[in-house]
Amino acid sequence: MRAFLKNNSLSLFFLALFLAALMGQAFAGHAAVNEDALRHGDPTMSMGRYVLSSEFGGAVLENWQSEYLQFTLFILTTVWLLQRGSPESKPLHKAGRESDKDQKVGEHARADSPRWAKVAGVRRALYQNSLLIVMAGIWVGSWFGQSVTGLSQYNTERLDHHQLPVSWLDYLGRADFWERTLENWQSEFLAVGSMAILAVYLRQRGSPESKPVGSPHEATGVEG
Amino acid sequence: MLLAAALCAGCGAADRAPDAAAVVHRFEEALNSRDGKAACALLNQQTAAKLAQQDGRPCEQAILAARLPAGRAVKHTSVYVTSASVSLADGGALFLDEAPRGWEISAAGCRPTGPDQPFDCDLED
Repeated sequence: MRAFLKNNSLSLFFLALFLAALMGQAFAGHAAVNEDALRHGDPTMSMGRYVLSSEFGGAVLENWQSEYLQFTLFILTTVWLLQRGSPESKPLHKAGRESDKDQKVGEHARADSPRWAKVAGVRRALYQNSLLIVMAGIWVGSWFGQSVTGLSQYNTERLDHHQLPVSWLDYLGRADFWERTLENWQSEFLAVGSMAILAVYLRQRGSPESKPVGSPHEATGVEG
Repeated sequence: MLLAAALCAGCGAADRAPDAAAVVHRFEEALNSRDGKAACALLNQQTAAKLAQQDGRPCEQAILAARLPAGRAVKHTSVYVTSASVSLADGGALFLDEAPRGWEISAAGCRPTGPDQPFDCDLED
């Protein structure tokens, strides 16, 4: 048990943080929505109803989609794009999808390679892109979820102001949808870009996200 | 679970739309038969109170004096969370809120004022 915890401490730590933060968001969001309802003389809602509401769903999903987009783009662009001196970049001569030998697939697979890395055809094509496929799938799903919950909130507000509701397709072209989307995207792109460049010159001893402290600034694709 | 919740954001809306449309149908029929008491019973409390206060008469008399259009057919109903709109055949609309006892009319006698603009309503809360 102790070995399991130690070997999986990174995933478990972030899972626990995620659940705690999500619960905190639910409690804080529920309190805020009811505070607002009381201020306007509207009926309050139960916690159960709040966590199934478009307010909570939208607030969660619009952050999820941007996080998964960030990782999807990072996985995809780092195949071809480089940053000299950054541990987030591959070595400068390795841009591209690399050879089967470098990637240890097909006849170059090792005995302990995953089974779908050894076979040819659709299974290998899927497996060698599986990280991107799953991350992109979660991104698209979350973004779709954001559009549905956002539409519900947007139309509720329109009805309150005696305007007829708009369709889902119409909503996708509205400023409300893109404001909610882009306010999250810009922060993710800034974080990734700044990490790629700051890690050229700055270090964190012991972290694989940094180069070893004594590595020269020009060393690229080196992890600590 | 959250994706399910997202997809569920409009859950039950389709089930509740006929109820909202039925309230509007009853309202239109009540006005058509000059039954002010029945029409006022379908308004929410704030709208009924505001009408009576503005007109200086009880709601059931004031609503008939307001000469709202009556007897129109329901064309389309939309429900989002606890709000609904019911569009009528002549281009007008009514707006409703869901209360514990069911749908209540919050705005009536509403006419379109322009594309994407709020409706202009004779009665509202």
